[in-house]
Amino acid sequence: MPEFSTQPLFDIARRLEIRGETGWLAVLAPVTDSTTNLDRLQTELQSILQKPARVIELEPSTFEELREALHQPDDDAVILSSGTGLTQEKWRSLDIMRSALERKGPVILWLATGDVANLTEHAPYIRSFIGASIFLAGPDGGIMTEAERQERLNELSQHFGFTGDEAVRKAQARELPHEPELVEWLVLLGRGDLL
Amino acid sequence: MTLERARKLAEALDSRTDRELTELRLDPPHKVLSQIRAYLLRRSEEMKTRNNLIQLLSIHRAGEFAQIDLGPSIDKGATPQHFHFDSGARLSFGLTLREVGRGSQVVSFRYHYTFPDGRPTQFLRFDLNDGPHADPLAEPRSHLHPGIDAMRLPFSVHNPIEILDRIFFVLERTTLGSR
Repeated sequence: MPEFSTQPLFDIARRLEIRGETGWLAVLAPVTDSTTNLDRLQTELQSILQKPARVIELEPSTFEELREALHQPDDDAVILSSGTGLTQEKWRSLDIMRSALERKGPVILWLATGDVANLTEHAPYIRSFIGASIFLAGPDGGIMTEAERQERLNELSQHFGFTGDEAVRKAQARELPHEPELVEWLVLLGRGDLL
Repeated sequence: MTLERARKLAEALDSRTDRELTELRLDPPHKVLSQIRAYLLRRSEEMKTRNNLIQLLSIHRAGEFAQIDLGPSIDKGATPQHFHFDSGARLSFGLTLREVGRGSQVVSFRYHYTFPDGRPTQFLRFDLNDGPHADPLAEPRSHLHPGIDAMRLPFSVHNPIEILDRIFFVLERTTLGSR
C-alpha cells in the first residue's frame, strides 16, 4: 500500500473548502476509535464548510437508496462510510453506478485500511475521482498537552499565591470566590466536581 | 432610589442571568471547539497578522467538564500564545463547559481583549462567574471589566461565538479605525 500523508481532520475539511467545496477525497479511518473520528470529521466539515454534513453507510445502501440520498439534497457534504470494509463485488457495483454518485457537494469516502487496494482494483473510475487526495486521519490538534496543563497550573498558582492543593481545600470549604480563572484551575486539576 | 433598591435590582438581574444560562444549550465541547476554531480561522483570513490556530487553541477534558483555552490564563503581557490582531491588540480567553446530555452548558468564561499600547483604556474583559457574588451590584455574575480589574459592569449572557463577534466586529474594528 502506498504511503499516504497523515492529516488532522480539521485540515482535511480545510482542503475541501480551499478546493471550492466540490469534488472527492478519501480518508483512511484510524484502526482504533473509527466511529469517534468519523463523528469528528462530520463536525469539522460542518464547522469549516458551514453546511450540513451527512454520513451514509455504503454497505447496506441499495443503488436507489444511495442515488436518492446523494441528490436529496445534492449540495451538502456527504461522507460515504465503508464501515469495516466493502467486498470486491460492492466496489464493482459502485463503480458501475459512478455517474449516479456525481453531485454538487463534496463527497468524502471514509475507508477501512483494506479498502484502498479494492478501490484501486475494482473501482478504477471512482479511484480516478479521488486522484491523489487520499489521507490518513491524523490526531486532531487542540488537545492540551500535559506540559501545557502544568504550565497553566503554575501560572494560576503564582497569580493567586496558593497551591493547587490549597485551591481544592478552599473549594471544599466553599471559600473559593466564583471567578472564571478559579473554575479553570479546578477543571485542570480534575476537580470540576467541586464547582 | 437607594443603595438597597439598587442591590435588589442587581440580585434580580443575576437571577435572570441564571435562567438564561440554564436555557443556553450549546453543542458538545468538541463541537464547540471546532466551531470556535473555524470562526477564528475565518476571521484570520480577513487579517494580515498570522495566527496559528491549531497551536493557539486547546481543550482539556476532565469528566463532564471541558476547558477550552486560547492564550495564557492570566494576561500579564503579550505572548506568542495570544491571538494577535492587525491593530496590535491581543486576545486570550478561557471557556468552561459542562457536558449535559447531547450538548453542553456554559459554566464560566473570560475573554480578555488588550488594546494596543498607548490607548486610554488598557483592556476590556468579559467574564462569566460560575456563581453569584455576595454583592451582585459590585459584581454581577456576567460582567465587563472596562479596563479596571476592580470595576465590573453587567453584561448580558451571550453565546461564546457572539462574544467573539463583539470583539472582532466592534472592538477590533473600532480600534483599527481609530489608529
